Amino acid sequence: MSTFVYMTRCDGCGHCVDICPSDIMHIDETIRRAKNIEPNFCWECYSCVKACPNHAIDVRGYADFAPMGHSVRVRREEEKGTISWRIKFRNGTEKNFVSPITTKPWGKFIPKLAEKDKPNQGEINSQILYNEPHGLNTDKDLPTLNKDSFKKGVYY
Amino acid sequence: MNILSSNPFSILAETVPPVAMQAFVFLMLAFVVFGTLLDIIHKKNVKYFFNNAKKAKKFATRELSSGEKFAIVSKTVAYDIGTTSELGAGKRRIAHLLGMYGTILFWVGSVVMVFCYSSVDAETPRLWPMIWHAGALMTVLGGSWFWFFLRVDVYSEAQPWYRIIKADLFVLALIATSLTGLIWSYLQNLELGDRWDDKVFLVLFVISNFVLFGGVYWSKFAHMFYKPGAAIQKNLAEADGSRDNLPPPADAPEQFGLGIKREAPKHY
Amino acid sequence: MPKNKTVFEECDVLVVGGGMAGTGATFEARHWGRDLKIICVEKANIDRSGAVAQGLYAINCYMGMQWGENQPEDHVRYARNDLMGLVREDLGYDMARHVDSTVHMFDEWGLPMMKNKETGRYQREGKWQIMIHGESYKPIVAEAAKKSADKIYNRIMITHLLKDESKQNRIAGAVGFNMRTGDYHVFKAKTVIVAAGGASHIFKPRAVGEGMGRTWYAPWSNGSAYALPIAAGAKMTQMENRIVLCRFKDGYGPVGAYFLHLKTYTQNANGENYEKKWYEATKKLVGEYIDHHPVPTCLRNHAFIQEVAAGGGPIHMVTKEAFQDPHLETVGWENFLGMTVGQAVVWASQNIDPKYTNPELTTSEPYVMGSHATCSGAWVSGPEDIAPSEYFWGYNRMTTIEGLFGAGDTVGGSAHKFSSGSFTEGRLAAKAAVKYIQDKKANGIEVTDKQYNNLKEVIYKPMENYTVGRNEITGGTVSPSYISPIQGLQRLQKIMDEYCGGITNNYMTNDNLLKKGLEQLGLLQEDLENVGAEDYHQLMRAWELKHRALTSQCVTEHTLFREETRWPGYYYRGDHMKLDDDNWHCLTTSERNPETGKFSMEKQPVYHIVDEKDKKKAS
Repeated sequence: MSTFVYMTRCDGCGHCVDICPSDIMHIDETIRRAKNIEPNFCWECYSCVKACPNHAIDVRGYADFAPMGHSVRVRREEEKGTISWRIKFRNGTEKNFVSPITTKPWGKFIPKLAEKDKPNQGEINSQILYNEPHGLNTDKDLPTLNKDSFKKGVYY
Repeated sequence: MNILSSNPFSILAETVPPVAMQAFVFLMLAFVVFGTLLDIIHKKNVKYFFNNAKKAKKFATRELSSGEKFAIVSKTVAYDIGTTSELGAGKRRIAHLLGMYGTILFWVGSVVMVFCYSSVDAETPRLWPMIWHAGALMTVLGGSWFWFFLRVDVYSEAQPWYRIIKADLFVLALIATSLTGLIWSYLQNLELGDRWDDKVFLVLFVISNFVLFGGVYWSKFAHMFYKPGAAIQKNLAEADGSRDNLPPPADAPEQFGLGIKREAPKHY
Repeated sequence: MPKNKTVFEECDVLVVGGGMAGTGATFEARHWGRDLKIICVEKANIDRSGAVAQGLYAINCYMGMQWGENQPEDHVRYARNDLMGLVREDLGYDMARHVDSTVHMFDEWGLPMMKNKETGRYQREGKWQIMIHGESYKPIVAEAAKKSADKIYNRIMITHLLKDESKQNRIAGAVGFNMRTGDYHVFKAKTVIVAAGGASHIFKPRAVGEGMGRTWYAPWSNGSAYALPIAAGAKMTQMENRIVLCRFKDGYGPVGAYFLHLKTYTQNANGENYEKKWYEATKKLVGEYIDHHPVPTCLRNHAFIQEVAAGGGPIHMVTKEAFQDPHLETVGWENFLGMTVGQAVVWASQNIDPKYTNPELTTSEPYVMGSHATCSGAWVSGPEDIAPSEYFWGYNRMTTIEGLFGAGDTVGGSAHKFSSGSFTEGRLAAKAAVKYIQDKKANGIEVTDKQYNNLKEVIYKPMENYTVGRNEITGGTVSPSYISPIQGLQRLQKIMDEYCGGITNNYMTNDNLLKKGLEQLGLLQEDLENVGAEDYHQLMRAWELKHRALTSQCVTEHTLFREETRWPGYYYRGDHMKLDDDNWHCLTTSERNPETGKFSMEKQPVYHIVDEKDKKKAS
């Protein structure tokens, strides 16, 4: 597959280079714009497509098995917390989808554990993790088992 | 401050005839036209561009009136092109604006002074040399800032600042013309007579202009013309609904702030 | 070539890998180790790294204890059943009892969880799965890790672990290189939690051109989860338990939501429900396991493979009915867009609209990982309160090397964790690692510069090989003195495919093939001394290849050791075409001697959670 970059839209900002999980988006030396240097290691994860501020990156399905003439494009809008997709088939059929990507302002409800209450020795010695057993929402202790319930052998 | 208001071309006219300077300007212009045309013919990029625009029009959901088109083109020129909006908020945009307007002032100042005030006894209004020097200074600042710190291959790919690639031809030549022009103007003003460095920077200024304008076919110079065209096409496509096959912006309020996009593209 | 700078870092908890497990470990470590230095090292960029780069549409491991939906033992029995009886039930129970608190945190952090309109509960996709809009799953959990860590290092590939020189069998840290700056990084750490990726691309994939990129599991999962502990001499388990997936053709798009939520079903090219046809034959192979509900994943694969081999293909997913409902149609497409966009691309390119066409399915090439319907990985200690004595040696999720912990794909025997379970396992490993430090077990670690200077030479050697060897030829990719990473990878994939039960032989292998495969892998290992890397990106590919090759050797040794066909549908031992509970109802473990490179194999007992009424006892 893979991703490719539109000449008219890329301005060499580097977001795709920075985000690619496969390290395959790099800067072309003739025009200082991004390109996919290893399409056979591209997962079509769309990380670069979503990261590009100018919508300069698009995807052409893997040449091994994807006929030409299709388009799957995306607009990820962090401030709105939405992701919008437009799928165009080779035969012109079009499908559009919009989904949420967050329910809360980014990062605001993710705790900085360094600032939370310290665990006491009892908690350290026990099996509970942070925010347990309260975070299990069961009003009970952390489940446990008697070691005797484990038997060696064939059981179904 | 004497230097900033003295016209280097009228001083130069003591040794070089103005008509030679004017011919040089025409030659540089010819280089640009020739280089760009050669690029267009060889790469057939304009053909691609218009084919693509025609293809996109098929997906338009509405027809734009000529009034709307005019408004979009004007807005694109004033905002997208005039403020380099493509680069978003931040250092790259500021550096580009410095360099872009610096170069415009430098070139306009050069043409005006060479064609209107290049005789030895010309009474040059102080404005023009000031524009010329200011333009050159802005270009050197913006260009060098970009060169040392902001190039994406340096910033996001950790290449060393001294690595030179083909893509650097344009920006290096641009910095060279402005820098050598400034130094030439300064040294010329000192009236060094026959000292060894009296003419060196003039020669370098001429050479760097040859490289800048002569290199149009190989450098990113012509992108100065292509990018505005692309910006206009993009805004027209947004307005007529074809949008390059992108989905429309979502109909939802902006309430969550920024996530990954808070951070700059450098994480190594 | 300018000399590469060495950058030193010292810390208490070093988390290798910033995926689901790594972010879980990094996040939790801060709670228990307030004053400790916690570092996470990630090969790519933590915001989108790992298997969850494009997002997920479901969290496949959630008990729902708060609503009495499931209890941890239920999940253990489910995982045990799916893996044909062979899992570490202590690890599975431990993960299952904590996973709910992990999922509730994700909800608080802003991950959009779908809710059932009637009950208000998380919308179930199936018994264990709940549906989410998880496009930004990874950035959200990455931020949690960033808030806990002292530092996150991105674009650094860890190639080797460091061993303590003062005390035998104790970890001392890790080393690697930065693929942007080229710097050599030495991390001295009191504990190391390996939370790296499982192994994709060790078998030849079905698409070998550009399409190589469309693996089911991420192509950047290069088996570091295994190679790092294997090379350090840690004991590994169940490495033969590779997984084959039945997914949509070419795009390998997920089928979970289709089966469970859309209630679609499979049929062969003649419109028949083919699975029933193979019941008797499968029963001869595996006995009563075929009668379990739900049918184990491998056995469903087995029926599929047999049907295709018998000429009943292509097999389709019947979607035309379900897709008439617009809500289900939306779910069907968004399922891909939030998890495997490539499948939507394939259908758009081939004009496949599931409303009018029943799309094709296929079985994939094999993968080796530890967090899905499979459980290859390191042999680790279980939790103190429940683990039987053979499964416990001091600290939860600690490998057989002191101070070396694992989480996620790295840990063997704990199946069906998926994303939430891997994050949870990271949390468990982190707490145990902190306790290990507090118990002063990490005192007095010594690493001399000889160890990391030797490793520095080894790490950058591929670049030396290329630069020097390049002088021999005029140009091109063919050299008699070095091979490129892609050349080595394709050779590895062909060896594993042909000798170790890849798609070419319909997942069939036997002892002759496996022994031949080991020979070929041995030759490859020798040739890997001559991998040539042109730049730091290629150097990273070279080390991915080396990790894959080492993982493959371990996988092949294990496959040879287990003399039965335990998981038909994942692979077959042609010379032992039967499930053998009498001799092989056990886990396999191996240890590789770091000096000689020899693997020594062992059997380990399986312990099952049994209620008052045992169903069947054999040995």
